Amino acid sequence: MSPVLPTDLSTGSLAVRTQGLAKRFGRETALDGVNLQVPEGAVYVLVGPNGAGKSTTFKVLMDLVRTDEGTAEVFGLDPRVRGPEVRAQIGYVPERHDWGYGWMRVGRLLQHHATFYPTWDAEYAARLAEVFGLKMDRKFGSLSKGQGRRVHLTMALAHRPRLLVLDEPTDGLDPVMLDETLGLLMDHITETPTTVVISTHQVHDVDRLADHVGVMRDGKLMMQVPRDELHRKLRRYRAEVPDGWAGPAALNGAVLRKGSFGREIQWSIWGEEREVVQQLTSAGATVRDAAPLTLADAAIALLSRRERA
Amino acid sequence: MQLAINTADPRPIYVQIMDEVRRAIVLGTLRPEDPLPSVRQLASDLRVNPNTVAQAYRELERAGVAYVRRGQGTFVAAAGTNGTERRALAAGVAERALVEAHRNGVSAEELIDAIRDAARSRDPHTLAEQP
Repeated sequence: MSPVLPTDLSTGSLAVRTQGLAKRFGRETALDGVNLQVPEGAVYVLVGPNGAGKSTTFKVLMDLVRTDEGTAEVFGLDPRVRGPEVRAQIGYVPERHDWGYGWMRVGRLLQHHATFYPTWDAEYAARLAEVFGLKMDRKFGSLSKGQGRRVHLTMALAHRPRLLVLDEPTDGLDPVMLDETLGLLMDHITETPTTVVISTHQVHDVDRLADHVGVMRDGKLMMQVPRDELHRKLRRYRAEVPDGWAGPAALNGAVLRKGSFGREIQWSIWGEEREVVQQLTSAGATVRDAAPLTLADAAIALLSRRERA
Repeated sequence: MQLAINTADPRPIYVQIMDEVRRAIVLGTLRPEDPLPSVRQLASDLRVNPNTVAQAYRELERAGVAYVRRGQGTFVAAAGTNGTERRALAAGVAERALVEAHRNGVSAEELIDAIRDAARSRDPHTLAEQP
């Protein structure tokens, strides 16, 4: 039995919905049946190692990549057909900032960007630029990773889009700037009703923001779930067990990660706590502790789980 | 008001916010009719999702600890400052101590005895160790 990790968030209205996205680059499978569902108003954090397919998924939403199979919808619009309309509603921070305009000065780039967005809020852009310490006369191409990221964040936020798609937005930010950025982002979503999708491999950075979590590996979305449910259902159990204990068969597949120290096991298990404790107990274990995991630890438990045949 | 939130704490963040407000009420640093920070302010200060702050405030309201004045914000309720909050806070601390004791294979009785012993060796007001 495999634990059925939840993947359906489609109970309310969705800002983003993809169905069966599949994409191959040569012999590499980048996406393999991705059904991304981002509820409207959510702060959805997409977690996964490099090469899991997070950036490719985001590019599909922007119509920067076209898939071999599957469909995508952003606020009900197909990016392939209604690209400009879709992009007008998205504030996008790409993973890499070397996508051109390297010769342009930052101030000029912001002006240039503003002309594409009727909703551009110049006053807000100026405020963001000040907090981010943007140097307007520097050439965009000469900026460090963190500086480039701040320019992109300014461009993404200042037109107050309905959807923010942030690909590794905290990458390259120093701790103080990271803290400032998270504060700005929280200000932003309280002021402006926004749906946010963030990809990251620095899960700790965004732990406090996430209210929905998706976990991606090898082009597959293994799980997507409200944060509360993840907090409630994925727990690390510590229990004393007899010598040579194998664990209850009913939990096969629900155990995501196993560790032990002497005769104490430390297993990360998916399920309702009461049921899991009952199963461990009736199999002869003395449960000492059932602790929820931080988002970072949960990601490790889910991602390090070995595929079973 | 400065709240302390810790993502490594097993309590969900909205519960931590509720507990911090309760703590401030019990300590007297928040009194009846004092305003709580706006959702926006607190979300921004703590760098947490505003929905999480709103959830904590809703739960505090439901528990009678706080109330909403239309268009003005959330305020500490008079009912929140009687003995109930003190007991609720003490119950929470006890609960966490019990879980910690159980994890270490210590029974409830052993824990209670140990707390008495520890309390005797410390100054009753500051809980500092006595020489």
